[in-house]
Amino acid sequence: MKFRRFPKFRSSLLSRYFLIVLAALLFVPVVIPLSFLATWLMNSVVTTSQEKANPNYINSGYLTANWHDAAKQLADASPDKINQRLKEYKKKYPFATIFWVDHSGETHQLPPVLRKLPVQWSLEDTIQYMKKGGSDDNFFTVVAFIGDSPNKRQGFMGIEVPRSYFIKGASDSSSFSLFGITLLLLFAFFAGLSYLFFRDIRKRLLTLESAMHFPGEDGLPQKIHTGKADEIGMLEQSFNYMVDQLRESRIREVEEEHLRKRLVSNLSHDLRTPLTVIGSHLYSLKKENLSEQGSQSLTLMQDKMRDLDHLIDHLLSYNLLTSGKYAIHPKSQDILRIVRESAAAWYPLWEREGLEPDIDLDGESLIWPVDEQAFRRVLDNLFQNIVRHAKSGRYIGLSVECSPGRPAELVIHDRGPGMLAESSTKGAGLGLAIVKLLLKEMALKLDIDSTTEGTRMRIHP
Amino acid sequence: MAIQLLYVEDDPEIGSWVSQDLKDRGYEVKWLKSGEGALDAAADAHLIILDVMLPGLDGFTVGQRLKRNYPQTPILMLSARSSIDDKLQGLQFADDYLTKPFHPDELTARIEVLIRRSGSLSDLPLELGHLRVYERENRIEHKDTGEEIILTGKQFQIFMYLIRHLGQIMTKEQIYEAVWGDPYLDGDKTLMVHIRYLREKIELDPAEPKIIETIRGIGYRVRA
Repeated sequence: MKFRRFPKFRSSLLSRYFLIVLAALLFVPVVIPLSFLATWLMNSVVTTSQEKANPNYINSGYLTANWHDAAKQLADASPDKINQRLKEYKKKYPFATIFWVDHSGETHQLPPVLRKLPVQWSLEDTIQYMKKGGSDDNFFTVVAFIGDSPNKRQGFMGIEVPRSYFIKGASDSSSFSLFGITLLLLFAFFAGLSYLFFRDIRKRLLTLESAMHFPGEDGLPQKIHTGKADEIGMLEQSFNYMVDQLRESRIREVEEEHLRKRLVSNLSHDLRTPLTVIGSHLYSLKKENLSEQGSQSLTLMQDKMRDLDHLIDHLLSYNLLTSGKYAIHPKSQDILRIVRESAAAWYPLWEREGLEPDIDLDGESLIWPVDEQAFRRVLDNLFQNIVRHAKSGRYIGLSVECSPGRPAELVIHDRGPGMLAESSTKGAGLGLAIVKLLLKEMALKLDIDSTTEGTRMRIHP
Repeated sequence: MAIQLLYVEDDPEIGSWVSQDLKDRGYEVKWLKSGEGALDAAADAHLIILDVMLPGLDGFTVGQRLKRNYPQTPILMLSARSSIDDKLQGLQFADDYLTKPFHPDELTARIEVLIRRSGSLSDLPLELGHLRVYERENRIEHKDTGEEIILTGKQFQIFMYLIRHLGQIMTKEQIYEAVWGDPYLDGDKTLMVHIRYLREKIELDPAEPKIIETIRGIGYRVRA
């Protein structure tokens, strides 16, 4: 499987992060004007839609401008023309009071009359009316000099529209709140975008973490689904690759274990078979009539053969133990029972070799979590060491010792020359190494006090 | 009638040596070089000695088949494979597992124990000191006077158990559990009392027992 060192920029997290940062930077210079535009657009849309919804509604600003425009256009117009023009307005705004006052102060009100106006306007009336901008708060009044200038002396024209007909134009405050809402929405959009971005990253990282943390049935992490081809996607790919590698190595390990066990079994067989044949011939030879020297040599050969046999056994066991392929299943049981049975098996040999057994294992049982076979192996190796190296002490002691504040100990005691003494049968200490490894596997300890007077081996939890 | 042994071993040198040695010791030996034909040959064998590494079917498979067909016949595995795994696998069906190289005396001793344990007893009485024991008839008599020694049930069972494991030291737990059939829980006193009464009946001088030997701290032994 091939991996890119870096993902494509387009699909990388880096590019997406850049986009978000860019959006954040553009927020002030672009987004704020944009929000103004949006406000304006919304305003006009709202207005248009209101106008569409009710065509009678009118806009005050528009009406004022329009009225002044009309007045300007009517400069030097005849009274008929003025009436004609105002009639058009009346048609358009039938609910409005439309009138004009000529330069003599006479009122020309367009029918139907909705409000009573003075028939003749004095100068004060005119000033008063213009000042007040109409007589009633309920009306919106626009007054314009005909010709749009008092100098034309054509009088003035006015229009009064009930206020209910006006669109409530977008006031400053309402447009400000609209702007605020827009800004807030944009903020929310930006925050949401960031949240989604990081939520996605977080979710994928957590998935990866849980895949690492919770192994499957085979004790290995499970492969995960790879998503986008960004940095995390690559991490996911690498993770899956690692799981594959782990699985392969696990399979290799099992095969290796199997091979090693078979090799050890076969080696054991191949080494012991010729040894057995040699042994058989030595045995046959011993029956022959031999000189004393020949008989001595034969005994020596038999002894060495036995040593070789033990050595093979130790080597193969050590090999299995150090490679962790020696199956040990400790369970709580009375070890004194195992010690007694083991001692019973060794007893005849001790007698033959002139060792005086001193066995004091009576009393309480000693419950330790041990694997029976492994514990027997420990005892066998220790007893064998005594037979081989401490025979001269003519003593082997087995006892249980309890001292206050300490767990009970199994003590194996000899009166040999000690472990530091030279022995013709001394080997590489494999037997003891195996003992230590086995005891360690069963959470037991071995303490050895060895002097030239003898050796005390204490086994305890 | 001599005890008949079936011996399966592919190595010619070891095979010829062992079978000759066993014949010299008075056994009747049928030696096969592979597991083939072992099922037929085992029909009248009192004990089967089986190697593990055999051409064709391995010793474990052959042994399992033999045990299925002749559950009463003891099987002794005699193998150069010494690992715990091999031993445990072998002992699932075999009665004993001896590794090569071995001393012929040890092989013989184990054969004797297995034969005794399986009940393939000879008609010849067993002589133990001043005693003569007829195992088939469950009878014990004084060699010189011919007087029968009557034992109680438990005393007899203890004595017979030790005789079946002649020459072996049996721990107190082993004896107690074999005779009483209960787990040994401080059955120490009970066993000691029974042994004392047993000795009063069979020993010439119960204060200095010669037949049942006490192995201090371990158990008891009846020497051959």
